Amino acid sequence: MRNIYFDLTEELNAEGTIAVLASGQAVVFYRLALMSKDGDWILREAPEACRRALTVLEKHGARYRPGAPLDVRWLAGGWSSHFEMSDPQARRVRCDFFSRPPRIRPDEVAALFSPEEMPEPFRVVGLEPLIRMKQTQRAKDYPVIGELARLLPPDLEIELTTDPDRILELVQAVGKDSGRSSVRAALSGVREDVVVALAREADQNQREDRARLDKYRAAAVGYLREIQAARIGDLDLPSAHERICEIAERWLPFDPDEAKG
Amino acid sequence: MELLSEDDLNLKDMTPEELDRAWDLWFDLAQATNDFDPPWTHGVFLNCTLDPVPPRGDGDNS
Repeated sequence: MRNIYFDLTEELNAEGTIAVLASGQAVVFYRLALMSKDGDWILREAPEACRRALTVLEKHGARYRPGAPLDVRWLAGGWSSHFEMSDPQARRVRCDFFSRPPRIRPDEVAALFSPEEMPEPFRVVGLEPLIRMKQTQRAKDYPVIGELARLLPPDLEIELTTDPDRILELVQAVGKDSGRSSVRAALSGVREDVVVALAREADQNQREDRARLDKYRAAAVGYLREIQAARIGDLDLPSAHERICEIAERWLPFDPDEAKG
Repeated sequence: MELLSEDDLNLKDMTPEELDRAWDLWFDLAQATNDFDPPWTHGVFLNCTLDPVPPRGDGDNS
């Protein structure tokens, strides 16, 4: 399988694993849907990984879009960096990077870069972390979770699926000891109870994700105004990186919880 | 209950070459909405908004 984002993944990792393809392009990799025209990667949280990514992006003529600097000081606080370029057919290619994927434990992130995980240089995030990354504020991610979960072994599928019928099918075999509310509801055999429990779970996930993102929004308001005024996207990548770091040092807290007011 | 469309799920039955061509065609078509896309589709800026950038020179009050 080849596309610009898969090729970029290989290029990013050509000198050692630094980037794992995630989100919509990972869904393409698992052959479930063509659902994102952008690419996003979990980047190894190391200065040399940032330097390598910037080198690859510069080679392709990428420019910064509004976002955090591709610098571990901000990546470690969960911020994301965003770039745009054109492919050889002049199609828009957007590349997004972060090092702290939501709802994924640090040891799980570290494992993504382990040599045993997947043959280099192509790396794509595993199904279980991908599903948890997709437990977002967006309703459209939940049907995808149901389809991704079908690819897991039954004991994991039942803990993550959003499909009430699959929970009802699996519950007697692998769900009797589950602590998940929708699985416990399925023990009664009443489909409506499972549907309601799933809706509550999704709503809880959506509210938590929205609260998480609102924290970043509040911390970024002044910073975004400054980098727009500086027309970061008009600068070549090395100049833009230098400038965006200068602005971020004044306006963007490393950790959004440090933001004042 | 299948949660995605038949077309989406048929990706599994494609050869790698067919899938590459399907993605390429889909990516071509998806360019049509570039001007209407939100500024971010991933990452932590999703809930942010961007002010319109004035044409170069308009923001110069000096």
